[in-house]
Amino acid sequence: MPLVSTNRLHKFYGKNHVLRGIKLDVEEGEVVTIVGRSGSGKSTLLRTLNGLESIDDGVIEVDGARLDVDHADGDTLRALRQKIGMVFQQFNLFPHLSVGQNVMLAPQVVKKMTNAEREGIARDMLSRVGLAEKFDAFPDQLSGGQQQRVAIARALAMSPKVLLCDEITSALDPELVNEVLNVVRRLAAEGMTLIMVTHEMRFAREVSDKLVFMHEGRIHETGHPQEMFARPATPEFANFIGSLN
Amino acid sequence: MAYQFDFAFIPDYAGMFAHGLAYTVGLTVAGGAIGIGIGIGGAISRLWNLRPFGNLYRYYVELFRNTPFLVQLFLIFFGLPSLGIKLVEWQAAILAMVLNLGAYSTEIIRAGLQATPPGQIEAAESLALTRWQTFLYVMLRPALRKVWPALSSQVVITMLGSSVCSQISAEELTFVANFIQSRNFRAFETYFFTTAMYFGLALLIRQAMRLIGRHLIVRRPLS
Amino acid sequence: MISFSLWDIVRNLAIGGALTLLLSLVAFVLGGAAGLLVLFARIGKWRVPRAMAQMHIELFQGTPLLLQLFTLFFGLSLFGLDMPAWLAAALGLTLFTSAFLAEIWRGCVEAVPKGQWEASACLAMSYGEQMRHVILPQAMRLAVAPTVGFAVQVVKGTAVTSIIGFAELTKTGSMIANATFQPFLVYSLVALAYFVLCYPLSHYAQSLERKLHAAR
Ligand SMILES: Nc1ncnc2c1ncn2[C@@H]1O[C@H](COP(=O)(O)OP(=O)(O)OP(=O)(O)O)[C@@H](O)[C@H]1O
Ligand SMILES: [Mg+2]
Repeated sequence: MPLVSTNRLHKFYGKNHVLRGIKLDVEEGEVVTIVGRSGSGKSTLLRTLNGLESIDDGVIEVDGARLDVDHADGDTLRALRQKIGMVFQQFNLFPHLSVGQNVMLAPQVVKKMTNAEREGIARDMLSRVGLAEKFDAFPDQLSGGQQQRVAIARALAMSPKVLLCDEITSALDPELVNEVLNVVRRLAAEGMTLIMVTHEMRFAREVSDKLVFMHEGRIHETGHPQEMFARPATPEFANFIGSLN
Repeated sequence: MAYQFDFAFIPDYAGMFAHGLAYTVGLTVAGGAIGIGIGIGGAISRLWNLRPFGNLYRYYVELFRNTPFLVQLFLIFFGLPSLGIKLVEWQAAILAMVLNLGAYSTEIIRAGLQATPPGQIEAAESLALTRWQTFLYVMLRPALRKVWPALSSQVVITMLGSSVCSQISAEELTFVANFIQSRNFRAFETYFFTTAMYFGLALLIRQAMRLIGRHLIVRRPLS
Repeated sequence: MISFSLWDIVRNLAIGGALTLLLSLVAFVLGGAAGLLVLFARIGKWRVPRAMAQMHIELFQGTPLLLQLFTLFFGLSLFGLDMPAWLAAALGLTLFTSAFLAEIWRGCVEAVPKGQWEASACLAMSYGEQMRHVILPQAMRLAVAPTVGFAVQVVKGTAVTSIIGFAELTKTGSMIANATFQPFLVYSLVALAYFVLCYPLSHYAQSLERKLHAAR
């Protein structure tokens, strides 16, 4: 059984039909990269997966937690969100909390961990992203790349089954992109299930098990990245690859 | 409860209410127009530190923003005659409104002017616009556009504050209400109805300011 | 006629000034507490309290303080409640303050970036947890300067209570001005007293504002 599966997913913004029936299965340990033109619905898809955007039709299932149009109350959402971590383009660290507190907050208030437990986890996660020594720093004292790595540690501290990453290097200066990609690369190697949107095509080809090309609210083409890049099956995807260079 | 509410007296006093309403509107229009004018002058003087106006304006603004309108009104109406300046009640009321609103608008407009991006001014200067042209088209209009909502709120606040002008017998809306309730002994109903009139007037003024803003400020020969 | 020395005038004004200060404090503290309730109703999830809070805010922001005091004073006397002036003054000013503070604070809550809501939601926090741990601490930082700034409006607002007969600074000033026939001197002193109370608050609010801007 897939870890994440969606079926017949539809989403409207007013009259704008943004997701037009998405069926997506992600196996445990799989790394899936979603690509597509601006406005094709990549972010929207990612954000519906953990209930940041409501859906107008369809089902989302993550490791036994299920969400559909009629079952999207607070408890359902929170059950789902315990299984999914998310990292944003704009980091969204809590500016009033130190790095350590950022990572420990959710374990404390959501998982009710003890002081020692959550501090242990926070220190573990921060060393996983190479920032153990920044435990007491505040977000505004860190570079963009460091902030994004803290955001990853914060998501990991809730031991999610799957991690969503929406263009997490797009807001970074070019020289800081790699330190974040390296963290993601390591997570992929360790078997973390990842669903990400990125414009870093080389990186996507290197780490992804599956590539998903979205076009006008649909999954237009999907498959193994090397093969898709070598032999695009649809003119739209061929066109998209062509526009990259 | 035994008390019966009775609003039947209102039509009998329609003429008086209308008079009070018109008086309040008059105070507000005069206070608003001249006050904002003073505010523009004040903001310029403060910004360019024109001597001696810049400093005078600073004291004026601080003085009027840190004392109650009612006291300003009393000082003008009861106090100034000792200096040989005698004003009748409507003159005193308008003067107080103008000075009060002028102080607030100075600060509001100054904040708007200060928010002009330096690049805009340099761009204008490199196009050989004169200082005045630069000020008018690159600074003042965008600044007014930006702070117009704040100015509108201040005009409404000043209008609502004008109800204390009843205390110097200016025949505005609250004065009329005081008079009527002393006649009909329906104090609650009279004040309730008057409060509702102020509420409606506040909405109207806000709407009017929006229209003025749209026609005077947004329509722009900019760029 | 009793003759007043300057010292008599100042001494009496000081008593009125103390009452002004006391009324300001009471209205600010009680109004702040009530404002917090109005705020939570206003930004909360339940529709009826939200509508009521909005009505409260619009009514008290959209009508003159003087008329609020009159309506309250005469409205409650319909219920047979004979209110002393100080009580009507405190009650009216508290309601007035609660509406303005609630609205100021709502602005601060809404100024917290949407990303903060989203990030905390993604961590499976409930609405209450988000509010308590993420949103309110940040909103409070933003709220300090405008709240101190509004304290100035409260102090100035107390002058209006002189009209319903509360013997604070302005009322005391009026009585002395009538007795001494020196309105210019007396009202100047009254204005000076308000200035002494308000200017430090204004100044402090401005410097807080600047610090916050610099920190961004
Ligand atoms: N909050 C919103 N309200 C209304 N329309 C929205 C909203 N968010 C996104 N849209 C619209 O939905 C469509 C898909 O947007 P989405 O952000 O998912 O695209 P994307 O593929 O992530 O694009 P990009 O590469 O630019 O991030 C677009 O047409 C966008 O304008
Ligand atoms: Mg996107």
